[in-house]
Parts: sequence; structure tokens; C-alpha cells
Amino acid sequence: MRILLTLTVWFGLLLASAASAQSLEDLARQLPEGSFNDRAEVVAKIGATGDDRAVGLLNALGEGELRVREADGAVIQVKGRGSKAVGYDPLTGDELGPVGSGSTESIRVNNSLRRAVRAAIGLLTLSSPDAGKRLAAANTAFAAPDPEQIEALDTAIAKEGDAAVRTAMEQARAAAVLASDAPGAEKVAAIGIVARRGGTDALTVLNPYRGDADAPVAEAADKAIAGIERAQQLWNVGQNVWFGLSLGSVLLLAAVGLAITFGVMGVINMAHGELIMIGAYTTYVTQQVIRTSFPGLFDWSLLIAAPLAFLVAGAIGVAIERFIVRFLYGRALETLLATWGVSLILQQLVRTFFGPSNREVGNPSWMSGAFPLGGLSITWNRFYIVIFAVAIFVGLLLLLKRTLFGLQMRAVTQNRPMASEMGIRTARVDALTFGLGAGIAGLAGVALSQIDNVSPNLGQSYIIDSFLVVVFGGAGNLWGTFAAAFTLGVANKFMEPFVGAVLAKILILVFIILFIQKRPRGLFPTRGRAVEG
Amino acid sequence: MSDEVRGLKGTQLYLNDVHRSFDGYKAINGLSMVITEGELRAVVGPNGAGKTTMLDIITGKTRPDQGRVIWAEHTDLTKLDEASTARLGIGRKFQKPTVFETHTVEDNLMLSLAGDRGVKASLLFRIAKAQKARIDELLELVRLTSARHRLAGSLSHGQKQWLEIGMLLAQEPKLLLVDEPAAGMTDAETMRTAELLRDIAGKRSVVVIEHDMDFVRALDCKVTVLHRGAVLAEGSLDHVSANQEVIEVYLGR
Amino acid sequence: MASTSFIDRRLGVFLALLAVVTVGVPLANTALSPESGLHVPTYMLSLIGKYLCYALLAVALDLVWGYCGILSLGHGAFFALGGYAMGMHLMRQIGSRGAYGNPVLPDFMVFLGYEKLPWFWHGFDMFWFACLMVLLAPGLLAFVFGWFAFRSRVTGVYLSIITQAMTYALLLAFFRNEMGFGGNNGLTDFKDVLGFSLSSDGTRVTLFVLSALALGGGLLVGRWITMTKFGKVLVGVRDAESRTRFLGYRVEQFKLFVFTVSAMMAGVAGALYVPQVGIINPGEFSPANSIEIVIWVALGGRGTLVGAALGALIVVAAKSWLTSAFPDAWLYALGLMFILVTIFLPQGVLGLIEKLGRGRREQPEPEAVEAEA
Repeated sequence: MRILLTLTVWFGLLLASAASAQSLEDLARQLPEGSFNDRAEVVAKIGATGDDRAVGLLNALGEGELRVREADGAVIQVKGRGSKAVGYDPLTGDELGPVGSGSTESIRVNNSLRRAVRAAIGLLTLSSPDAGKRLAAANTAFAAPDPEQIEALDTAIAKEGDAAVRTAMEQARAAAVLASDAPGAEKVAAIGIVARRGGTDALTVLNPYRGDADAPVAEAADKAIAGIERAQQLWNVGQNVWFGLSLGSVLLLAAVGLAITFGVMGVINMAHGELIMIGAYTTYVTQQVIRTSFPGLFDWSLLIAAPLAFLVAGAIGVAIERFIVRFLYGRALETLLATWGVSLILQQLVRTFFGPSNREVGNPSWMSGAFPLGGLSITWNRFYIVIFAVAIFVGLLLLLKRTLFGLQMRAVTQNRPMASEMGIRTARVDALTFGLGAGIAGLAGVALSQIDNVSPNLGQSYIIDSFLVVVFGGAGNLWGTFAAAFTLGVANKFMEPFVGAVLAKILILVFIILFIQKRPRGLFPTRGRAVEG
Repeated sequence: MSDEVRGLKGTQLYLNDVHRSFDGYKAINGLSMVITEGELRAVVGPNGAGKTTMLDIITGKTRPDQGRVIWAEHTDLTKLDEASTARLGIGRKFQKPTVFETHTVEDNLMLSLAGDRGVKASLLFRIAKAQKARIDELLELVRLTSARHRLAGSLSHGQKQWLEIGMLLAQEPKLLLVDEPAAGMTDAETMRTAELLRDIAGKRSVVVIEHDMDFVRALDCKVTVLHRGAVLAEGSLDHVSANQEVIEVYLGR
Repeated sequence: MASTSFIDRRLGVFLALLAVVTVGVPLANTALSPESGLHVPTYMLSLIGKYLCYALLAVALDLVWGYCGILSLGHGAFFALGGYAMGMHLMRQIGSRGAYGNPVLPDFMVFLGYEKLPWFWHGFDMFWFACLMVLLAPGLLAFVFGWFAFRSRVTGVYLSIITQAMTYALLLAFFRNEMGFGGNNGLTDFKDVLGFSLSSDGTRVTLFVLSALALGGGLLVGRWITMTKFGKVLVGVRDAESRTRFLGYRVEQFKLFVFTVSAMMAGVAGALYVPQVGIINPGEFSPANSIEIVIWVALGGRGTLVGAALGALIVVAAKSWLTSAFPDAWLYALGLMFILVTIFLPQGVLGLIEKLGRGRREQPEPEAVEAEA
């Protein structure tokens, strides 16, 4: 039976040129006629037309949706049942109106005909002019290996010009060979080809041959599977590293503003998390305005929100410094308490104006979806957040090292009286420095609005983490913050698969607590001026 | 090395080739010095010569990278912390007067009195008659009897300096390390302080770090000049001030 | 020193008021008829009892922060541990009266499919053991934590941050069902203690009186500690830690002792709190709770013990009133309290009262502890 079918497909392929003489419409009309075998031949011819429309026709046939209209003997596709039945042209997909019950007769399909349909569809899609469709067809063939497709694949491989698609086809052919009763040596070779594909689907294909009766085949399968699993483990490590970097970038974003206010100025700003939250809400408001007034600009919304968030959070930061922190310099613990009060007020303000529930902040199109990198799938939003975090960090380094403001800031923090003597307006530098740290928190909020719930509690979830990052890295050292954020991020993600997310977090906390006991000044202590209460 | 130390009978403190650097900056660089029992010694040197770091190393606040600090011929101080060196009998006066500002003058002295420093002893502490008398004596010595019940925070700068010296003496130390005691004092106070330190010496060893040359002259003792973390010259004040190198260091090249 | 009596005016006034409340409130609850204008309903009595527990917690924090300068942002953890220890006993007391009727396993364990009691739940069926644990659990945590932290000289803000991290880690841990402490829901549905029903007025009055006595006792213990030479060393550590070291005191031992004592005191407060409110859950570990304790102390006046208790009573009473009268206003009020007290009222309410009372006399001394005539 199988041979017969193979032959019919083969025959159909041979007749490809001749068949094209017969129009698809003619062939379609022949579908209801004759024995199952005759009709299988017609299906093969349809497959050989290479006509795109044929895929829909054959699919409809395979699904049992093709019917003959009794009035004129036309072949139509009927969807729905009973009174809801609607007719369609199977080739164009045009709607033909409702179909009365009893006005059509079904075209019966049996298993062998279904197989012929599948083979023909495979052939059609494998020869589609669209490389993407050919690749998809090859992948489908790989996932459901069918020895009957070997010839169709051979033909397709011979014609294929695209290297990637050809590789996929060869892999699909190898999978089909494995499923066939080909000799052992050929199967061993096929295993090699399948194994090169790697990944879970290759494992699925190979797994049944582990205990193959043919010893060399079984051995080759074992080896190939072991190899794939090793590779997968490596990719898993890669995946964890990526997740860790992603978490690290979030920590870096949350902490880098604090590295300025706490690390450089020595001011404990417990409202730091709320400044992040303000940044997120600024993004929300910006998007609302864009949605209602300038819908076309939506993809730019984050780029518009970023400077706004910097300014809003920065302004609040300057206000906090001028009205509260200024009076408490040198009294770190009091500063901690007063800024905690600020954080409560900011939270409640946002709750009063925006309500306690989560606000929807959309992803622009360029931040949606994912792209593959080897065996990894990387989401665009995480990818851009990593880039954004590093960009902010580099920008901040340049600001501190290369600008006059940066120079004044370092001068004031290192030797205030001397800086004052030299004509630097220290009070202004203090306010601006604090504003800078706050503004960066606002920027972080723009990014975090893309991956976290925008609610009044947003900031609370970052404040402890960000302090620990700064302390772990060594207060006053930006590179320390950078290293600490990514170290903790990666460490956390590596532990997660073993102990779960919560326990991983607890272990990180305990580790940091112990670490601070050992090295109170952090990973990279700054010399001289210490931040102590 | 320790044989050599043992040879120095009557040595209170012996520093041998001590090194300490901070992030590559050599604060102490091969410093060696001997302080004998009951000796009064002035240590002078320009800013950054390593004077305060030297005191930090002796008292166990800072660990040297290399070298030995030997106490009373056999104890290595480099392994001990501040509390341990204090218990051995080293008292230290800071450059900036450091007293317990929210305690009374009397309580400051009470807390400094020699005795068991443990938690339990502190909880069960009852002041003895002899200790009261010692406090009276010290108050008299540092001229703070009338300020006895005042909070230390309300004292003048010079009074705080003296209170701190009084607290040091209450510890009954064998060695006093005194960092710039004359800073912020009037001339009369300075002279009286020098007199006080001269009186203390003899019974106890005293190392005074000072900038003020008049004060050093008033101390009338052996002078060690530190420069770049090592001893540049040692001897009487007249001897070291005639030293060409010392003049260069102090007056600039 | 000699001129300061053990029970000074400040402490005397407070203890007298406390005695009045301890006797008066239960009397007003039991002896007066409900129609009487002065009658105190039982819920009110338990509410005040809860406040007294908070006041004890504040005294515990003041002992370390006010006197030794250790700003713990994790004292809520010690309170919660004491509460859990008591809660575990009350859970075991439920016995077969639980919803699942298991004589040994508390309901939540049956629900989560526990086969047998976890090892750390053993012994809690005995009251004395639970009481011991009320002291030991927080005490041990404080001892271990403090041993590491003080030995390596973690001070100031750094210490505050790691105490906060400590309570945060415990919060996360206690939320986990696998920890065996009832996870998210915590421990609740308590029935009785030592055979007395927790819902009966008599038990509630007893718990109230015990809370008041514990607060009084806590104040006296605190007063004793701070009056000794030990207490003076603590203040020395707070104001000039290095001077204390150079005088030969092992600062870490002093800190460790007072930190542990304070944690135990907080544990007692938690243990008395739980039967009165009828529940203990991981929310008690939240860092925000611990920070709130700090504002009680700051508002009342740190370094005075009595001020801390007073501050706790003022703030939690204000909180109860505001959250029911103006629910949105509470966080604003609390936030403003933090800001205004730290900037304008460093001596707290008690400092203000005494300053006003002192009238035209000379400027108050910076340290209120020793400023008594």
C-alpha cells in the first residue's frame, strides 16, 4: 500500500509538467470522482501543480470540509454545521453564502487518501516560492517524520537554493529515513544529521532509537543524545547567564542612582524607590497623553518619557535635598528616617491621584517579542533594558569624569571646605548631585515600567535590593555598584533552578549580610572618606 | 630578633622595621624605635610623616604589613586590638579631644578607672572609696574639681584636652601616647600641659606627638624626627634641629 | 550620678499612670455596667493591651538605639519571633478541635499534607517550653547576628541596612509554606491558653494586666541597665566608640549583650501581643513595620525609655483613630511625623514637655538622660 502511494506521488512528480497543463480548477472538479486510488492520483497531480492555492484545497479535503454542490456539481468548501453552514470557494476562499442542509454531498476520505493529501501538501509547501514557507514545511516534516516524504524531500533538496532551508530539509529527510526501514548504516548516518540540529525536537526524534534492535543504530542514538544534552546544558548555562544579566541590569538601574546619593554623597535616601516609581508613573502619564492625542507617536513614548521622568524625579530630588536632607547632613540615621517619611508621602500621593491598583504601561512595538540567539530566546524588552542600564552607567561615569559639574561634585565630596574656598557653590552642587541621583532613579522607572507592575508599591520592592547592591559593591565606587549588580543578578539566577526563586533571594540576602561582616566596606572599598553614621 | 629585644633591658616599647601602606601609599616605611621605661619622648615630623599611623599601629587599630611591635620585651602588639593594648597599659589621647560629651566629668573619669572591663563587672559595678579618692585626686591634677558635675560636652577645648589626659591617667597606663595635646590651647595652658607631661614621665613612659616647637622645647626630652614613615633623626632638640636633612624637610628644598 | 535616683520623676510619673491604667481599665471593664459612660468594652481593653505590647517593643528598641546608637531596622523580627513562639503553643493547644480534627497536627499542616510534626514544633505543646522559646528564639537570632556584626565593627547606616535585610529575609522565608509556619496565613484560630478561653473576658483582662506588668518590668530593667556603669559605657559607645575601645572596653561584647536583651524584650512583647490579637503572620516581619517602631521612639524621645513607650502609645493610638476616621490621611500623617520629628524635635515629645516644664531655666543639656536635677 505504502509503495503504491509512494509510486503515485512519484508518478505525480514525473507528470509535473504534464499536470500543469491540466488547470487546478479541472483537477479539483475530478476530486469527487472514481475510486479512492483514482482520487489519490488526482491529489498527487494537484500536489504537482505547485500552485499556492492548492494547499487550501487539499487542507479542506483532508479536514473533510469539501463537498459537492448538488445543484451544479461544483466542489465547494463548507464550514460550520446545519443552519450555520457557509460555503466558500476552496481555491480563492471567497464566501459563497449559506448552504442549506441536504443541498451538498460530502466527498469521502479514507486513511490512504489522507496520507496522499499530506504528502501532496508537503510537496507543495516544500516547493513554495516563499523560503519561509519552505522552511516551515521542512520543520513540520522533521517534527512528524514520514518515510513517504523522503522522495518529495529529495526533490526539494535538489532544487533548494537557500542553504538554511536545505539544511532543514536534509534534517527532515534524515528523520524520515530513521522512521523508514532503511539499512542500519544509512540510519546511523541519518542520526548524525539529526544530531547536528540539536535542541529538544532533535531529542524527540532520536529518543525512540535508544533501544533500537540494530545495535550500531542504538549506539549512535545514545551518543547523539548525550551530545545534544550536553549542548543543551551549555545553553542552559547561557540562558541562566542571560537571565542573570537581565536581573543584574534591573538591579543596576535601581541602584545606580543610589550609588550617587548614598555612595558619593553619603546620604541615605529611603525615598529612592519612590523616585523610581515616579519615573514609572511619568511614563504612564506620557503614554496616556500620546494615546489620546498623538497615537502615531506611541512607539516613541519611552524615548519621550525618559527625559520627562529624569526631570520630574530630579526636581523632586532637588526639593527633598533643599527642604529636608540639607538640615540633616552628618546625621545619617536621621536622614534615613526623614526620607522614609518622604517615601510614605510620595506613595500616598500617587495612590491618591492614580489609585492603588496597577496602571497599564504598554510596550512599544520595538520592545515586544523575542529574537533567537543560538539556543536562547531573548526578549527585546529585556535586551533593551540591559542596553539602557549600561548606557546610563556609562553616561554617568562620563558625567563624573569628564564634565565640570562632575569635577565640582567630586571636589565637594572629597573636601568640602577646600571646594568652598575655591569658589564652588557647595550647596548648589549638593542639590544638583542629589537631583542627579533622583533623576537617574526616574530613568530607571521608565525602564522598569516595561517589566514590572506600575503601582504605588513599585518602589518598595527595589529599595532594599538597591541598598544592598551599593553596599556590597562598596559605597562611593560606581564600578563596584556595576560589578555587584551583575554578580548578584547572575548568582541569583543560577541558584533559582536548584532552590526556587524565594529561597535563592533569601540566600543572597544572607550572603550579603555575612559578606558585609567580613568586608564592611564592600567589594571595592573606596579609600579615605567613609560613609558612616 | 627577639634575643636582641630581650637584650634591651628596661624597654617599654620596641618597633622594628615596621611597614604599612594604604593603596600603595607608604605611610610607614621601615620605622624602628625604642622607648624605654619612664621615658618622655617627643615625635615630630611634617604632615604625612606617619605619626598618627604609628600610634594606630602601636594601639592595634591598624595592622602593619610587616615588622614587629614588642611591648615590655615580650608581647607582640601586632596581633592585638585596641581594647587589648589598652588593657596591657597603653593609653592614647587623640588629636581631637575625645571625651564622653554627654557624661559628667566625674563619670568620664569613673569610666576610665583601671579595673575589670567586662560586661558582668560593669553591670555589677559599685564604686569603692579608694576609687572615689583617686577621682578626686585626678580632678585636682587636671584642675577640673569645680567642673566635676558638668557635662563634658560643655567644657572648653583646653579643659577637654585635660580631661582626656586625666582619663588616660585614670587607666594607670605604663605608656601614654599623646597626639598634639597643645592644639587649641593658650600659651599658659600649653606650658602647664608640658609641665604635667614631664611630671607623668618617670613613673610612666610618654610619647608626645607635636608640631609646636615651643612646646617640644618645653618638654625638654629626646626628640625623634619622622619623615616619610621612617626615622630621619633622633637626639636632643638642639641636635636634631642642627641636622641638615631635618632642616631641608622642615624648610623645604 | 549620685544625685540621680533609680526612679526619677519621669519614670515615677509614667509608672504611676501605668498603675492607674492597669487597675482602672480592667475595673471599668468588669465592674461597671455596659450602660455606664465609663465602661470599657472588652475589645477596647484588648486594643489598649496591644498598645502596651507595642510600648514594650519601643522600650526594647530605645535600649539599643537611644543608649547605644544601634539603629536596628529589624526589631520587628524579634517581636514576630516571640509572637510565633507563642502562636505555636496556641496552635498546639487547639488539638483535635481544629477544622480537620487532627489531635497533633495544626490545620494548615493537615491541609498541606504533612505526615508528622516538623522537629521544631516539638515541645511547643508545653507552656513553659513556649515561654522559654519566646526568649530564646529572638535572643539567639540577635546573639548570632550581633556576634557577626559587632565583631566585624559594622556600624551606623551599614548596620541599619543589614538589620533591615535580616527582617526582609525572614519575611520571605516565613511566607514560604515549606518553612512549616503556616506560610502566608500564619498562625491563627487560637482557642485557649492554659485552659482559659481566649475569648473570655477574664482571660483578656489577665492578658491586659500581664502586658501592663511586662511594660512596667521592661522599663525597670531598662532603667537598671542604663543606670549601671554598663549603661554609661553604652552611652560612651554611642557618643565616642573609639574612646571606649581605647579605654579597654570590648565594645562588641557590650553591644552584643544589650542587643540580645533588647531582642528578648521585643520577643516578650510579641508573645503577649499574639493572644490578644488572635493571629501572627509573616507581615509582622515586613521592613516597614520595623521602621515604624523607630518613629515611635523618635517621636517619644530617644534615650529616655519612658519617651519610647509614650511615643508608641501616641503613634499607635493616632493610627487607630486616623485609619478609621480618615483612611487616606494616615500615611501622610506618618510620613510627616518622620520628617518633622527628625528635623524639629530631636528630643521627641518628652524632651519638649520637659523643656516647657523647665520654663525659663537654663538651656536643657543635650543628653536628657543625665539632665535630671
